[in-house]
Amino acid sequence: MARYLLTRAWQSALTLLLSTIVVFFGVRALPGDPALALAGEDRSPEALEAIRHHYGLDQPVPVQFAQYVERTVQGDFGVSIRTGVPVSSMLTTALPVTAELAVLAILIAALLGVGAGVLAAVRRGRPAEWLANGMALIGLSVPHFWLGLLAILYLSVATGLFPASGFVPLLEDPVDNLHHIVLPAVILGTGLAAIIMRQTRSAMLDSLSSDYVRTAKAKGLPPRAVITRHALRNSLIVVVTIVGLQLGGLISGAVVTEQIFGLPGFGKMTIDAVFQRDYPVIQAVVLLTATAYIVINFFVDLLYSVIDPRIRVTGDPA
Amino acid sequence: MTKLPIGGTSSRKLDPLRTAVAAVAVLCTVVACSPVDSGDGGNQTDNSQPAGQDSFGTPADPAAVKQGGNLVIALSAEPDALDPTLSRSLYSRYVFQAMCQKLYDVDEKAQVVPQLATALPVTSGDGKTVTISLRQGARFADGTQFDSAAVKATLERHLTNARSARKSELGPIDGVDTPDPQTVVLRLKQPFAPLLGALADRAGMIMSPKALQSLGDEFASAPVCVGPFKFAKRVPQNSIDVVKDPNYYEADKVHLDTISWRILTDASIRAANLRSGDAQVADSVSTQDVASLRQDASLSVLQSQSLGYQGLTLNIGNVDGVRTTPKPINRPIAQNAKVRQAFEHAIDRKVLVEAVFNGLHATACSPISPASPFSSPEAQACPAHDPAKAKQLLAEAGVPTPYPVTLLASNTPDTLRLAQALQSMVKDGGFDLKINPVEYSSLLDEQDRGNFELLQLGWSGRIDPDANITNFVGTLASQNVAGYSNPQLDAILTQARQASDVEERKKLYGQAVTLLQQDDALIYLYRQRNLTAVTKQVQGLQVFPDGVIRAAFAGFAK
Repeated sequence: MARYLLTRAWQSALTLLLSTIVVFFGVRALPGDPALALAGEDRSPEALEAIRHHYGLDQPVPVQFAQYVERTVQGDFGVSIRTGVPVSSMLTTALPVTAELAVLAILIAALLGVGAGVLAAVRRGRPAEWLANGMALIGLSVPHFWLGLLAILYLSVATGLFPASGFVPLLEDPVDNLHHIVLPAVILGTGLAAIIMRQTRSAMLDSLSSDYVRTAKAKGLPPRAVITRHALRNSLIVVVTIVGLQLGGLISGAVVTEQIFGLPGFGKMTIDAVFQRDYPVIQAVVLLTATAYIVINFFVDLLYSVIDPRIRVTGDPA
Repeated sequence: MTKLPIGGTSSRKLDPLRTAVAAVAVLCTVVACSPVDSGDGGNQTDNSQPAGQDSFGTPADPAAVKQGGNLVIALSAEPDALDPTLSRSLYSRYVFQAMCQKLYDVDEKAQVVPQLATALPVTSGDGKTVTISLRQGARFADGTQFDSAAVKATLERHLTNARSARKSELGPIDGVDTPDPQTVVLRLKQPFAPLLGALADRAGMIMSPKALQSLGDEFASAPVCVGPFKFAKRVPQNSIDVVKDPNYYEADKVHLDTISWRILTDASIRAANLRSGDAQVADSVSTQDVASLRQDASLSVLQSQSLGYQGLTLNIGNVDGVRTTPKPINRPIAQNAKVRQAFEHAIDRKVLVEAVFNGLHATACSPISPASPFSSPEAQACPAHDPAKAKQLLAEAGVPTPYPVTLLASNTPDTLRLAQALQSMVKDGGFDLKINPVEYSSLLDEQDRGNFELLQLGWSGRIDPDANITNFVGTLASQNVAGYSNPQLDAILTQARQASDVEERKKLYGQAVTLLQQDDALIYLYRQRNLTAVTKQVQGLQVFPDGVIRAAFAGFAK
């Protein structure tokens, strides 16, 4: 176990370092100059020079990199070139929004996906299965922005059930916060729900035809217990893996969803930063995303052993 | 049952290189897709209309408006720092309009009128001393008295701050004197007519000296000025809120309690928020949406022709980058004005505006808007659409047709539609136009480096014509990306900048336009209209030719 953890830690550190290096030099290799993007319409040479000097962009790139690493190790992400605000404070406003959106989307997707998947597997060949499959197909193939636009059109403009945009922090007014974020979370969760549903359905079909389920049935257990305690528990392994793997997709989905609903989250911040060549923000975002990815992967692996006792992190297949 | 060996040969093992490459791939994907809005400068999202039909909105009738209410304005781009010295984004002016009054303002005829000053400035005979008398009894939002010392502190900050965006606007100011609390005297090194226009924009916004002292470079975190509203809260990327200021000198004329600007970059989302009632005002409405918005009985669309332009820049000498000495470029279109004139004659501006913008924009043939007090028949002269003449000019220049030209343009949907319309149009004139769409930040970079043959560019416009011309066509000027240099034109522009008489300046700008059309380094195409949609419950909201939404004295109908 200790050796496994060490290996994982080393891999993670290497991944982080590599992504940092690639992104740092990658964004600087892009055409475009943050000073130009920031200068707007008043691009006098003095102004451009002053901006470059203020943000240390007039230094050689290797020097900039050394300063960046030194600062980042101390937990300082620098100052946004676009807004002049420390990146860390931008992250503290943006992260909770995206975290709430993503967590809610995963919950909604898991509930819908697992529920529909179990139903489709148990009611194989009946209308319930066709319905679930049809919904999954729609969820998979319709893009977020289109769904989002439709939702705004019908649920905000036409009926006024939900606000069309805006965000209220959770701590300020929990009810109003949910009112604003439920719709974007549902939209963001659709694709994931569809994937979870299909995977749950096939894993359930797998389990339901396996020996241990037949044994459980033969022992006279009620059908509900057979489905939840035996078949579903094993199928959940797949679901957990999918959620872990789909995290990247969720982040890119959040970018689109946040743009449409005007949520001041991580995704919107990233888009703006890339278009404005806001180096410090892009670097911080990539670093954090990579870290999140690594940490979540690690926990997904640990979860396996909780769900399926046959899997133990010993390095040996059970 | 699938076995998942962990830590052994799992297919899910982290691959450092792959993750890093994926991160960059994501980055490049984002760069490759179209920005919804190009921010300042180049091509803002639509704002447009045909010649003629301006509709600026009318002031509120106090009897028909109720007190109180929160006005929500859906804004197409995020304002930058709310600091009049540092601000570079046009969108910041919308917020400043409610919160930071200026020495001078602009009326609907694009004429300068006093705001924190009591009269237009008095300029001495030699044009080097400008005296401004100030309003009495005004207070900043923090209670500090507004006086000449405050004006001096603000102007000096504009002139000396390292990152000031105002320094060049204020021109040759040598010093600021305060003979008494109600009088400010500006001493100039040489006469500078555009000064008044600058003082009617961000350079004329006066900041509280007390707040400047305590906040310094952090002024934008809690800006304090004289205005109907004062700063309340800002959530980056999301919203800016201001509340009614009881200290304001005409507080009884203010009806609303609060104004919120909510940043929504997508035009159709802004329109949806307007229809759902989540917002009452939306700026930069797309020309594609105007017709459907007009059909909605509860909405009206304000339109005001901007003072700027959209056009094409030809690279005729920018080899080593902007602001470097122009060098010859070995291409007929760069060397021979006849080829450039042919290109201009191949363009049918009317059809362009009709086809691409549903006729909502005005055609433009010069940098001077007909709405400008400095406009004249010469400034509005226009080379006709004449494909036969275009071909004749190309023949005279000895150029084989179809002559290939590559257009560098921003990859926003509007610009691409414009480029495609141009492409099919100039065919008849003997040109084969290729389109090279790039993302906006890259476009800025390429144009400054001179890596283009033909470029689509725009300018939002300023009140004084000098600010719409000299920077782009003056020899070695800061945004002369064409690498264009004409000493005769430089002399005319310098003369016009130092002349104080409007008629004289009018005449000189007319001559400048004639020269510009002969050389054709810039081909002006159309003038945007600022399109602002407002729900009819809101009264007194106005948009003037400077493009700024004036919401401070609006109110909800009783």
